[in-house]
Amino acid sequence: MSQVMSRENLQKWAPVLVLIALILFFSIANPNFMSVRNFARIAMAATPALMISIGITFIIIMGSIDLSMEGAVAVCAVVFATLFLSLGGALDSWAWVALPATLVVGACFGLVNGLVHVKLKIPSFMASLSMGFVGIGLSLLMTGGDRIRVEDPLFRSLLTERVLNFPLMVYFAGLALLVAWFIQSRTRIGRNFYAVGGGEELAHASGLNVNRVRVLGFMIAGAFYALGALFAVARIGIAETATGYNLMFISITSVVVGGTALWGGTGGVWNSLVGVLIVNVIANGMIVIGLPRYVQDGVLGVLVILAVYLSTDRKSLAFVK
Amino acid sequence: MSFIKKFIEEETINRRKFLLASAMGLGGAAAAGVLGSGPARAALSDPTIAWSYRNRTNPYWNEIVSGGEAFVESLGMPKSALVHLINDGSSEKSLADVKALLAKENGNVALAIDTNDAPNCRPIVEAVAASKGYVSTIWNKTDDLHPWDFGDHYVSHMTWSDLGPAEQTARILFKKMGGKGGIVGLGGIASNNPAIERKQGLLNAMKDYPDIELLDYQAADWDTQKANQIMSSFLTRFGDEIKGVHCANDTIGYGVLEALRAEGLQGVIPIVTYDGNPQAVDLVIKGDIEATVFTNPHWGGGITAALAYYAATGHFKPSDEPHANREFYGPTIMITPDDAKAFKAEYLDSVPTYDWKDFWGPGNGQISY
Repeated sequence: MSQVMSRENLQKWAPVLVLIALILFFSIANPNFMSVRNFARIAMAATPALMISIGITFIIIMGSIDLSMEGAVAVCAVVFATLFLSLGGALDSWAWVALPATLVVGACFGLVNGLVHVKLKIPSFMASLSMGFVGIGLSLLMTGGDRIRVEDPLFRSLLTERVLNFPLMVYFAGLALLVAWFIQSRTRIGRNFYAVGGGEELAHASGLNVNRVRVLGFMIAGAFYALGALFAVARIGIAETATGYNLMFISITSVVVGGTALWGGTGGVWNSLVGVLIVNVIANGMIVIGLPRYVQDGVLGVLVILAVYLSTDRKSLAFVK
Repeated sequence: MSFIKKFIEEETINRRKFLLASAMGLGGAAAAGVLGSGPARAALSDPTIAWSYRNRTNPYWNEIVSGGEAFVESLGMPKSALVHLINDGSSEKSLADVKALLAKENGNVALAIDTNDAPNCRPIVEAVAASKGYVSTIWNKTDDLHPWDFGDHYVSHMTWSDLGPAEQTARILFKKMGGKGGIVGLGGIASNNPAIERKQGLLNAMKDYPDIELLDYQAADWDTQKANQIMSSFLTRFGDEIKGVHCANDTIGYGVLEALRAEGLQGVIPIVTYDGNPQAVDLVIKGDIEATVFTNPHWGGGITAALAYYAATGHFKPSDEPHANREFYGPTIMITPDDAKAFKAEYLDSVPTYDWKDFWGPGNGQISY
C-alpha cells in the first residue's frame, strides 16, 4: 500500500486524479455535466488547444519556452484561409493543398523562431515572444484587419459530421496526439529532447548537436501550431488575427497543470492531454454550474500553483530563481 | 522633511516622463516626418490631419480609419497623407503621441481621436488647445468636459448611445420567440461602456415581456472563441430551455452561431447581435441572425476628421455653432432580414461617397447626460 501511495506515484497520477475529481464535482453540482453531448462539447473546445499544448510540450521538455503560438496560429490560420479560398475554396478541388502547405508554413515559422534563438543566442523566452509579435503583425498585414470566412461544407464537416457522437475533428486530433506520442517515445529526436532538458551540458559533452535539436524542436512545435490553427478555423469557420488569442495562457497552463515541469526533462504529451482536459473541464463546468466566468481565471491561477507544487519534489531543488 | 522627499519623488517622476515623452516623440516625429509639411504658420492653411485610435486588428477601428482615409482622399491627397497615431490601448501613449505631433507641426494639426479612456480626454484637448491645434473626439469623454469650454479648438464630440438600439434588437428577438421562453445573453468586457449599455438595453426590453426568462448572462469579452465555448456550455446547462440568444456584438454572434451549428441548431434558436459588420449583414440576409445594428463607423471616422479639418481651415467657426452641433450622437441603423438586402446595396456593396461637409445630417441629436 505504501508503495502505491508513494510520493513518486502520487506525483505521476496527480493530474489524472484532479481531472477525475473535477468531473465528479461538476457532475454532482449539475447532472447535465455528465453526458456524452457535453463531453463532445468539451472535446471540441479542447482540440485546438491540445495541438498547441503538444507543440509547446516538446519545447518545455527541452527546458526552453515558446511564447510565439498566438502569432504562429494567426499566420497559419490566415495563410490557410487565403490559400484555400484562392485555390477554389472547396476541399474536393485543388484547395486541399492548403492543408499540407499550412503545416509547412507552421514549421517554417518554427524554424525561424529556432534559428533566432540558437544562432543569435537570444533566450527562447525573448526570441519566441518577439516572433509572436512578428506573427501578429504579419497576419494583420495579410488581412488588413478583416476576417476571412471558410464555409466549404466538406472542410466544416470536421465540426458538423459526427461519429459516435463526437465530431470528426476530435478523431483527427487523437491521431495527431498518437503521432506526437510516437515522436516523443519512438524517435531519436524525441529522446534527444529529454536529453537536452535533463542536462544540456551532459548532452553536449556526449556529442549531441544541441542547437540542431533545439531548432528541430521549434519546427515540430510550429507544425503542431499549424494543426491547431486548422482546427481553430474548422471550429469557428473564421480565420483572423484574433484566431490565436488566449492560446498562450491556455496551452502553457495546460502543460504545467498536466505535470510537465517547466525546467525540462520530464513529462510528455499524455500529461498535456490531461492538462488540456482539466483546463477545459473547468471552463465548461464553471458555466454549467452557473459561476461567473471571471472566477475561472482565478481558479486556473490557483490550480497552476498547486500543480507546480505537487509535481515537483521541493527537496531536490537547490534554489528557486 | 517630507516635502523634500516629495520634491525628489516628483522630480524623478517628471524626469521619467520627460524621457518617455522624448522617446515617444522621436518615434512619432519619425512617423510624421514622412509627411514633411512645412514650417509653422500663423493661420492653419494646410494642417496635418491625424487619427489617433486603438489598433487595426479590430474590424470596427479598421472601418473608422478607412473613413478617415476616404476623407483625406476627398481633399485630393493620397491616403498616406493621414497620420496614424496608434495607442494600442494605452492612454499614456495616446497622450505622448499627440504631444509629439503637436510639437513637430507647431500646432498645425487637425486631430481626430478616441482618447482610449474618458479621463485621458481632458489632457489631450488641453494640449491641443494650448498649441492652437484643432481636435474632434469620439466615444471617450468625461461628462464635465465640453467642447464649448475651449473656444474653437475643441471642435466636437460624437458618441453612440447603445441603450435604445440594444433594446430594439431584444424586442425583435422576443417577437421571433413568440414572446415567451428562456434566453441567454453574452456580453462584452464587463467594464466597457457599450457592454454595460447593451446589457441594460436587453433588461429594459424584458420589462415588457414577463414571460421571457433570462437564464444567464456571461461576459464573452467581444471574443469569438470565448463566445463559442460559453454558448456550448450554456447548451449543456440549459439544453432545450434556450429559445433565443442576445449577443453584445457581431464577433460574439459568430462564436454563438458556430456553437449552434455544431449541434445542428442554427436557424432553430434565433440570435441578435450588434455593430453591423459586413459579414454579419450577410448572415442577416441568410436568416442566421435576426437583427444587428449599424453605427456607420466609416462615416464616423471620416466626419470626425472632417470636423477638425474644416474648423482648422476656417470653413466654419465652432463657437458659432449651437451645442447640439458640438456634442452629438452618431447614427444607428437597425438591420433585419426584411431590409438587410437594401441596406447592403446602399452601404456595403459600394461604400457611399459621403459629403464630408454635411457634418450633422446623419447624426442622432445632442448628447444628454
